[in-house]
Amino acid sequence: MAEPTAPGMLHGDSPGLRLARRSLVLVALCIVLLPFADLSVVAHDPWAELSRMATGLALPHWRELSSPLQAIGLTVSVALWGTLLGVLLGFPLALVFFRSRLVRTACAFVRAIHELFWALLFLQVFGFSAVTALAALAVPYAGIFAKVYAEILEQTPRDAADSLPPGVGRLSRFIYAELPLAWERLAAYTRYRFECSLRASVLLGFVGLPTLGFHLESAFREGHYHQAGALLWLFYLLIGTIGFWGHRRLLPLLTLGSLFLLGPWPHVDSGLLWRFVSHDLWPAPLLDGDWAGLMAWLGNIPDLGPAIGNTLLLGLMGTVGALIIALLLWPLASRHFGNPATRLGGRALLVGLRSTPELMLAFIFLLLLGPSMLPAWLALALHNGALIAFLAARHADNIEPGMPGLPAGGRYAYELLPRIYPGLLALVFYRAEVIIRETALLGMLGVATLGFHIDSSFQYLMFDQAFFLLLVTAGLNIAVDALARRYRPREVVMDDPCSR
Amino acid sequence: MRRLIATTLMLLGLAPVAQTQAQDTFRFTAIPDEDQTRLVERFQKVADYLADTLDVDVEYVPVKSYSAAVSAFRNDQVQLAWFGGLSGVQARRLVPGSQALAQGVEDAAFHSYFIANADTGIAADQDQLPESLEGHSFTFGAKTSTSGRLMPEYYLRERFGEAPESLFSRVGFSGDHTRTIALVESGTYDVGAVNYSVWNAAVEAGRVDTDKVHVVWETPAYPDYQWTIRGDVDEHFGDGFTDRVRQALLGMTDPDLLESFPRQGFIPVSNDAYAPIETVGEDLGLLR
Amino acid sequence: MSDAELLSLAGEDVGHGSQVVLPRLSLTLRTGERIALLGQSGAGKSTLLATLRRRLDTDAAWCPQSHGLVPQLAVYHNVYMGRLERHSALANLWNLIRPDRRAWTEIETLCGELGLAGLLRRPVARLSGGQRQRVAIARALYQQRRLFLGDEPVASVDPHQALRLLALIDARHDTSVVALHQRELALSHFDRVWGLRDGRLVLDATTDTLTLDDLDRLYPDADAASSASADETAHG
Repeated sequence: MAEPTAPGMLHGDSPGLRLARRSLVLVALCIVLLPFADLSVVAHDPWAELSRMATGLALPHWRELSSPLQAIGLTVSVALWGTLLGVLLGFPLALVFFRSRLVRTACAFVRAIHELFWALLFLQVFGFSAVTALAALAVPYAGIFAKVYAEILEQTPRDAADSLPPGVGRLSRFIYAELPLAWERLAAYTRYRFECSLRASVLLGFVGLPTLGFHLESAFREGHYHQAGALLWLFYLLIGTIGFWGHRRLLPLLTLGSLFLLGPWPHVDSGLLWRFVSHDLWPAPLLDGDWAGLMAWLGNIPDLGPAIGNTLLLGLMGTVGALIIALLLWPLASRHFGNPATRLGGRALLVGLRSTPELMLAFIFLLLLGPSMLPAWLALALHNGALIAFLAARHADNIEPGMPGLPAGGRYAYELLPRIYPGLLALVFYRAEVIIRETALLGMLGVATLGFHIDSSFQYLMFDQAFFLLLVTAGLNIAVDALARRYRPREVVMDDPCSR
Repeated sequence: MRRLIATTLMLLGLAPVAQTQAQDTFRFTAIPDEDQTRLVERFQKVADYLADTLDVDVEYVPVKSYSAAVSAFRNDQVQLAWFGGLSGVQARRLVPGSQALAQGVEDAAFHSYFIANADTGIAADQDQLPESLEGHSFTFGAKTSTSGRLMPEYYLRERFGEAPESLFSRVGFSGDHTRTIALVESGTYDVGAVNYSVWNAAVEAGRVDTDKVHVVWETPAYPDYQWTIRGDVDEHFGDGFTDRVRQALLGMTDPDLLESFPRQGFIPVSNDAYAPIETVGEDLGLLR
Repeated sequence: MSDAELLSLAGEDVGHGSQVVLPRLSLTLRTGERIALLGQSGAGKSTLLATLRRRLDTDAAWCPQSHGLVPQLAVYHNVYMGRLERHSALANLWNLIRPDRRAWTEIETLCGELGLAGLLRRPVARLSGGQRQRVAIARALYQQRRLFLGDEPVASVDPHQALRLLALIDARHDTSVVALHQRELALSHFDRVWGLRDGRLVLDATTDTLTLDDLDRLYPDADAASSASADETAHG
């Protein structure tokens, strides 16, 4: 007599089950590949350094900061103008985005290279100037805006445009029947991107542009933790109060005013610019038409195989890590769980995790766990997981539970998670592209990803090699994005443009 | 929208104005290997000294890394720079005609220290690089630092005849001497290579726990930091400007100024003094 | 003149793209006729109206079921959109910032007749359902065509208002085709009824020959359930 068994829970063809299977495949793939990752824990006495860091954060020395207001001013100005120029470049591109393969490819390419690497490129031509900073933000953002704006415009309801009398011109139709309908979402996304650009603007300090990150990185690197603490608090404060100083009515004024904080403006040597673009970026043998020399040149490129492998592996681990962290953390900031005090704490934790530059998180883990891929993994997972958790909590807060009386566990598993999971997974797939881009950044930490070799090439002033590796990175990013797009949940309407 | 167009036009209009100002000011940069706090304030004093002595406007341009300093030098954003050994060679190769003017008294015979965490059991102050380094984890400083990367790697290869990657279980780049000390002290890396002057300063200031980390070996002497000036400054600032700058640097005796580098004083030097650095750089594939 | 054929279909397949919704459809529309279009939801009313709209091109003013309004824009701008094609793009752009004086006066008068006086500056998002319906009609009237095509233009207003709106539409157009779900209104206010069922035109007769029972036969659910529920499905 056979026991009656429940049908296998993962069989079936409902959208929910498809998502569950997809997530499990992703996690399984990560676990199978984990042995190939370099994940040893070696540090044995991190506590002295960590306690110095903790005291620094707890007892910031505000007085020791040199001209923090100037750094903040420049950080905000660069973010504002970088975003604005990105909009100005990206919006026209968005209008032709779905009609031109060339535009789509170009946008995918500029998007695929991290802001910091753009900065390193522009640095060679424009030096430490406002142009380098603005271009490093505006160029990739133009690609991002073009794509997201195009998607938002495409999703605009057609009713209004369809009901227009025949013969209405393209422009009139756009400004009356399309733009107003998409306006709110375009504005929301632009706003979100501005917040991103604020973090990126700080990061630009890490390569030497005198934003807040310049001082933060110096202080942190040299172990002046009381100063680093003060700067970090300043940064959290800046991000946390964006709702007040970044008010819609205040922004135009701020934008105009900040124009005077931007600088310095470079003296551009056109000969040098031309030499860089026409000569420095390309392998010398290629320019000479020396094919054997080109082979030798390629032979001198650091091991591409392991670098690509490490990049992809870290990207996969970071994506799966972010998924798990997001699943664990989102209830902390949701109104359905805990009390006002825990929610405040949870929100602060999420904001802290997503605002702290990944490089810094990674260094703390480096001290704790020793040099390996582990610190980079944790930094990526925590940073991106917290970001996704924050958006998921916001999504969950809009849901009214059907059965109010359930205990917290039941509410999580039966009421809320099934409803927010498709959106959450879609976010994770969207972030995969960003995570791959960030692995390149963490290469600066010593993990031999593509980013590590790009950083080295820039340091050795071998721009042709750096450029070649950037092209490889961009190609990899585009491929990963295409893959993620293929497998991301299609059933979800991405009603929150900020999720991209 | 109108506001936006107006501001964009202003933005475009400002650029040329700023450009014309750029010509008359003599700019320099320096990357000290320790204590980059209040850089601008401290080097403002050096800028003031140079301005008084040379009778031109002088401005200090802060930079973050060796490669950034080289880029600024190449782009003529700075005309004078306090470079490390390797970055100086890089810069002079990129800007033909530029020359090394002066080095620190200490730089004629500079050293690197190999330091080890006490738990490794590697004894302190040995005559040559100990065999027992093999198999430990190791960190350099910045990738293009002369004292934190180039010369340590040279002596490692000379002693063991193999690349650091095959000698050690793991090779990292801490990015900075201070960080190298912190990472070896905490045991994150077993062994590291560090600028001797940064180490000495840190020990003196009590920032290092010498029970946990100690010096294992000191490299032979090699030339390091130097002031390098662009070849075209005489055209822009008048004949003999290069010599006047050299004299100004050599005449810098105020300890308050010298503390920023930190050096006891400056002595004359020529490009040729750095030929050994150039050779090593080429051998290691850091120069081409 | 009153018998002139405006449009005639003779056994044509009507649908969107390659998908045929109304196979081999035959009908004739003459100038001066007021036609009520009836049928269960999904019977093909909207498809038929879309086809008429395409064929009649600039002769027809169009009032869609979904209203096609832009909630973010003011009532004035939504009505103005009825004549968007008669101005240059630049003039249209400027009109968003500063309303055209002549258009404003015309639209003010028109809205007054529709009970929308004083609402010209209000965004459509802040109007009630009935008010939006009237804005949609105002926009169709503002187009000033000889023929009116409406897909349920009086669905969300009360019966008295429905009569008034239909009277307004009649006064400004010599011909009209209006999809409805109020059968009484169809008999009392229109000359002719086109009845659709399962993709066929099963009824094409003048209203003086028809009774409510004849119309009931257009709705399969009417046999089993009350006609009220059929109205509701048409609504949804």
